[in-house]
Amino acid sequence: MELRRFNNKGIETFREALAICREGPKSDISTDLLTNSEFTYVHSPKIDIDLISFATKREAAVYLNKLFGGLSKQDLLNDAGLWSWLSLFYFDVVCPKQSGERKVRNDYTYIFEPKSSRHFYRHLLFVSWRILDIAPSHNRLMLDSSISSLDKFTSEVIKRLYLTRIPCFFEVLDRLYWDESIGRARPGVTNFAKVTAGNLAHRLPVRIRQLEKTYDLQSLTADQLIELLGEEFQFDGGVVKQMHLSLPKE
Amino acid sequence: MIKRINSLGRKRIARDCVAISVQDGQPRRFSASIELSETGWPQDAIVVMEAMCAGSPVVKRFGCGTVGSLSLPRDIPLDGIIGQNVFFSLKVIDPSEKIGRLLGVAENIRPIETGKQTETGRRGILPVESVPLGQQLWQLDFREHDVYLLVNESVDGLSERMRSDPMIYSLVYPEVIRQILARAIEQNIDMEEADDRWPYLWLAFGKNLHPAREKPPSPDDEETKDDWIEQVVAGFCQMHSLRDKYALAVTRSDSAGD
Repeated sequence: MELRRFNNKGIETFREALAICREGPKSDISTDLLTNSEFTYVHSPKIDIDLISFATKREAAVYLNKLFGGLSKQDLLNDAGLWSWLSLFYFDVVCPKQSGERKVRNDYTYIFEPKSSRHFYRHLLFVSWRILDIAPSHNRLMLDSSISSLDKFTSEVIKRLYLTRIPCFFEVLDRLYWDESIGRARPGVTNFAKVTAGNLAHRLPVRIRQLEKTYDLQSLTADQLIELLGEEFQFDGGVVKQMHLSLPKE
Repeated sequence: MIKRINSLGRKRIARDCVAISVQDGQPRRFSASIELSETGWPQDAIVVMEAMCAGSPVVKRFGCGTVGSLSLPRDIPLDGIIGQNVFFSLKVIDPSEKIGRLLGVAENIRPIETGKQTETGRRGILPVESVPLGQQLWQLDFREHDVYLLVNESVDGLSERMRSDPMIYSLVYPEVIRQILARAIEQNIDMEEADDRWPYLWLAFGKNLHPAREKPPSPDDEETKDDWIEQVVAGFCQMHSLRDKYALAVTRSDSAGD
C-alpha cells in the first residue's frame, strides 16, 4: 500500500473511532479511513509500505528505520499525521484482539502528539523507531518487548533527554539492568512502588543528575560511569542489594 | 532532601564570557568568542563547547584548547544539530584526574546572532502555543527549557485573549503562576548558577514579585513554600490590579449587553 498521512480531520476522525472502539472492545475500526482522500493524503515522496505483524518493538523499529531512511528526521519527529496513520494501518499490531476484545489505551498511544513533552514518547510506533534511531546498539531492554504496550525502560529513559544525551548511557543501562543469566531485565529494577538500591525509576536519574554537576559525563566510558555510580548500582548475582533509602514522609 | 548548596568546588562562568553566533546554511555554522582570562583556573584546564538542540539527544562537542591557550571556534559546521532552538554549554575541565572533573560550567547559552534557521534569545517567560486540548481550555506543559501555556486551538482567538482579555487572564494567570512556582521549587535548583531554563527564570521572577524579595524556600519546607507562592501571586495580582481590571471588564461587558 502507498504510505499516506492523516490531515487534521483524519486525526480527529481516528480519535473518535478509538473512543467508539474503547466503548465496544469487540468492535473493529474501519480501515476505509486509511485511503479516504477526505481524511488522508499520499505521502511525498511516495513510499510503499507492507502490512507486517510485528511481534516486538525491534521488528517494527528495524522496518520503519529502513523505510524512512531517506526522509528528513526533523520532519519525522514532528509528523503527527504520518505516525497516527501508521497506528491505524498497524492497528491489529499495536492494539491486538485478545480473546476477541481489544484493550484500547489512551489516545496518545496511537495518535502522535509531537508537541506534548508528556505524550510524544508514548506513541508505540514512533518510540520504537526513535529508540533504534538514537540507540543503534545496547537497546535490547527497550526493543525486545511487545509492540502493543509501553515498557518501563522505554518510558523512564526516553522522557529524560539528559540521560539520552550521555554517549555511554545506553551501554551503561544495558550493563546494569540486563541479566545475562536469565536472558532478560533484572526483576524489580523498574518498580515504582518499592524503592530499591539501583532502581531505574527512582535512583538512576537522581544519581546521574548528581554526577553531572561534578563530572564531564560526555567524555566518560561506560566503565567510568558505572564506577562513578557507586556501590548502589553494583548488582550481586542478579539480586538488587537492599539499601536503606529514605522516603519522603506522607 | 539535598539543600541547594554549591559545595562542588565548581565556579560559575558568567554568561558574558561567551558570545556565540550561528550562521544559516546546510549545515549551519557557528563561531564563538570566549573570555576566561580573569577566572583563576589552571592554565592547562581543558575548555570545550557543546552544541545541542531542544528536544534532541544529539550533542556535538568542540575542543577549544586550554584556559591558557584558547582555540576559539570559527565557522564550525553544526552537523547533526537539527531544529531551530540551538543552545550551547561551555565547560572547563580539570585534566589532572582520570575522570574529568568540572571546574566551571555555563549551560543553556543561546546564540546572540543568528540567521533565519535558528532562534535567538527567548520568546518571553511563558510562550503560548495553540494545540488540540479536547474540552480543556488551557494546560501547562513543562519542557526542557521553557514552560508553555497551551491553549485550545479550536476556540477562536483564545490564544490572543489569554494575553489581552482581563476577564480571562485575571482568572487564569494567578493559577498559572501558582502551578509553575510550585513545580519550579520542586526542581531544587541553585539559583546562583548561570542557567536560563524555566525554573531559574520563574523563581527569579517570583523573588522579584515577593513583597520582601525573599528567595524561594526549599522544596521540603511545605508550609513556607505555600506561603511564599501565595505572597508572590498576591504581588502579581497587586502589580497588575487584576481585581480592578476584571471588575471594569465585567461592567463594560454588562453595559454592552444592555
